[in-house]
Amino acid sequence: MENGEEFVLLKDITKVYGTQEVLKSISFDLKKGEVHCLVGENGAGKSTLIKILSGAVKPEAGEIYVHGNRESELTPRSAMALGISTIYQDAELVDSLTVADNVFLGDESLYKFPPIVNSRKQVLESMRIISRLKMDLPANVLVEELSAAQKQELQIVKALYRKSDVIIMDEPTSSLGLEETRALMDTVRDLRERGMGVIYISHHIEEIFEIGDRVTVLKDGEHMGTYDISDVDTDFIIRKMVGRQASAFFSRKPVEIGETQVEVKDLTQRGVIEGVNFNVRKGEIFGIGGLVGSGRSELVNLIFGAEKPDYGTINVNGKRVKPKSPNKAIRSGIGLVTEDRKKLGILAGRDIIENIAVVHNEVFKGPLIDGAEESRLTNKMVNELSIVASREDQTMEELSGGNQQKVVIGRWLLDDATLYVFDEPTKGVDIGAKEQIYELLVSLAERGKSLIMVSSDMPELISMSDRIGVMREGHMVEIVEAEEIEEEELLRLFIGIDDTGGKQKDEKQ
Amino acid sequence: MKNSEISSDKQVRTLAKRRVGLFKNTWFFLLAVLIGLSILTTLVNPRFLTTSNLMNILDQIAVLGIVSAGMTLLIISGEIDISVGANIGLTSCVMAMMIRGGQNIFLAIMVGIALAVLNSTLVGVTSILFKAPSFITSLAFISVFTGTALALTRGAFQTIYGQFETIGVQRFWGILPLSFLISIIAYIAIHFLLTYTKLGRRTYAIGSNPSAAHLSGISVNKAKLTNFMLSGACIGVAAMVLLSRIGAAQPSTGMGIELRAIGAVVIGGSPLMGGKGKIIGTVLGVLLIGVISNVLNMLRVSPYFQQVTFGALILGALAVSVLSTYRKRSYVRKTKDVKQKGGSE
Repeated sequence: MENGEEFVLLKDITKVYGTQEVLKSISFDLKKGEVHCLVGENGAGKSTLIKILSGAVKPEAGEIYVHGNRESELTPRSAMALGISTIYQDAELVDSLTVADNVFLGDESLYKFPPIVNSRKQVLESMRIISRLKMDLPANVLVEELSAAQKQELQIVKALYRKSDVIIMDEPTSSLGLEETRALMDTVRDLRERGMGVIYISHHIEEIFEIGDRVTVLKDGEHMGTYDISDVDTDFIIRKMVGRQASAFFSRKPVEIGETQVEVKDLTQRGVIEGVNFNVRKGEIFGIGGLVGSGRSELVNLIFGAEKPDYGTINVNGKRVKPKSPNKAIRSGIGLVTEDRKKLGILAGRDIIENIAVVHNEVFKGPLIDGAEESRLTNKMVNELSIVASREDQTMEELSGGNQQKVVIGRWLLDDATLYVFDEPTKGVDIGAKEQIYELLVSLAERGKSLIMVSSDMPELISMSDRIGVMREGHMVEIVEAEEIEEEELLRLFIGIDDTGGKQKDEKQ
Repeated sequence: MKNSEISSDKQVRTLAKRRVGLFKNTWFFLLAVLIGLSILTTLVNPRFLTTSNLMNILDQIAVLGIVSAGMTLLIISGEIDISVGANIGLTSCVMAMMIRGGQNIFLAIMVGIALAVLNSTLVGVTSILFKAPSFITSLAFISVFTGTALALTRGAFQTIYGQFETIGVQRFWGILPLSFLISIIAYIAIHFLLTYTKLGRRTYAIGSNPSAAHLSGISVNKAKLTNFMLSGACIGVAAMVLLSRIGAAQPSTGMGIELRAIGAVVIGGSPLMGGKGKIIGTVLGVLLIGVISNVLNMLRVSPYFQQVTFGALILGALAVSVLSTYRKRSYVRKTKDVKQKGGSE
């Protein structure tokens, strides 16, 4: 606020997706020469805020000021022109061009005549920036040969070449090793000393204490506070990230839990999932939690046979299953409701019957479809799941998100499976439909099914699960009783901070 | 597996039945164009509406129809095969050579159809194996098939006049061409397959969303291959009919039919992205192509312009399908607004 040195100022930003407010009147500012960290759980609204600042998404309300000027029509192009550069996790670089070519991409330096690219000048100019940052980055090499860390560095070089003074880094260290992380931290410090502003998003809280000047905490789209790093500690930040009202929790009916029905033994896909062991009992909902990229979805894909494990087995009802394909998994009594409904769930353009009966049709024998049976089963699901629809030939596009999700779930209920896997069952679903889906999960448990539920929604995970398996960097590091754990403690396990506040480095080689 | 039971005390609702939408939007439009065109032409040249002319049209579009039926299957599943023409060329050459060599005609036909199925399967297998779009693999196989046919025939015309005429020339009651009946059988077979069999459902599912289909337990590759084989069978039958009609074969026989078949399917309202479409559309598309080419002949339009008309027809069909999706979208938007205004229903 003092001496007008704010690079960026966001005032009362509100963003609504569908009926959900993902950002509720958020204010945020970035000063010259500071590293401002942004923390929050999965889905707290960090990415949306960044997208608004980089012009990719337009807010419904609020004001954006860049260098003191109000910008009402921010586009990715104009944001870049104003000096805002965003460095994404999956670097948007052209693999088949050299480092220097990538730096100059879209703004190539040409000879006067003939107007061809002046590679020499591009290389020299790139090298000048690289050496100024003391980076280990060859300018003449193809990008596909670079390591993940070098790609991040290249993006920083690109930002500097464009004379950006605001650099946004979204989870820059998630794919880096310890050494590389350290080098990146040095670069960030260097940028700060040059008077640039850095917005730094990370799940690794200890990084924030290492390089941050201020930290802003978001929770469920709300601004929980902005603090000087020197005034806070890890505990305080974690407490701010969680701690919801009791109303955010769903109180479910307890279900009697029987004996072990499903066992997962030593499931491994090298480099992705390492030796995961757990079991699920009859009537139990086994939650799987962890940060984005911890291997949750990868684990359930292995169980369902959508990915092939290197080794490891799954026992369902005492029978050994080695799922080689979803088809085999379905026949062994495993069902998967996928996370990405649009990409992996619905059959767009096809009607309700076809969408509900698709799994059923694969299970029964014979080449012909029984139209009357399909129609009967569809109507049954429409009633059981209260799907809002009026005609059998309504296509999926004509249904709301919640009803689409119910149709996708319905396809697994027509035939009895033993193990139901739900990957983010209530993502993008409104509150009413959410509770109906919760009740459905419980009723499946009541009927003696085993359920696995992956969820990023902390209250959902704690209130629905009986036990929770915590995934971190491809390992299932701990299995906890959901009744005995608090949000705060669970988040600590996700991030991997022990009681002394330091990160458990042993997991990360 | 037993069906699940969840007891429910809510009022039981029943969804309205599927409408038998034989003549919904695009198809109705095509039919209207067909009828309008026929009336106009009859006014100018009454000879259009004679039995012999109409039967000629049906005879002329039979081969295209059989090929298009198989193509419909491929396009709905999101695949395409542009080697159809070359496949017909190779197949009909082999059949003709066998018949000339004094082989049993029935055997020649069987070998020919088997060869067409094999060729088509190769297109599918390579596409799956190399994870390449079938457009590219079939492009490669055009040269393979034509080249093989050239090598076999040494470029020579294979005439079999008078030895194999029944299928192409036979007319029931003196009017109804047998070739047309064969194409009707092909349409009905594919329609039955798409509507009443698991394979049909899989075809739509794969074309709509292959990942979701895979995760629903559909073995995507198997279904795709089956479709290629069935399309191959259609190609084999088409080659047989064509050979019988012309009485001769050469490597370039059938050239260009793939584009007309794809055109017919698209005109009939199946988008190339797959997941949508019905055989009735293809039937009308083929019919429209046949009628228009006949009408242009009747009106003595230069054959060069007939090509232009075919192109215009495809563009017109695209325009109609875009317009109908616009209409549908605004309808969806309206109903959603109503729902929201209606409050928490």
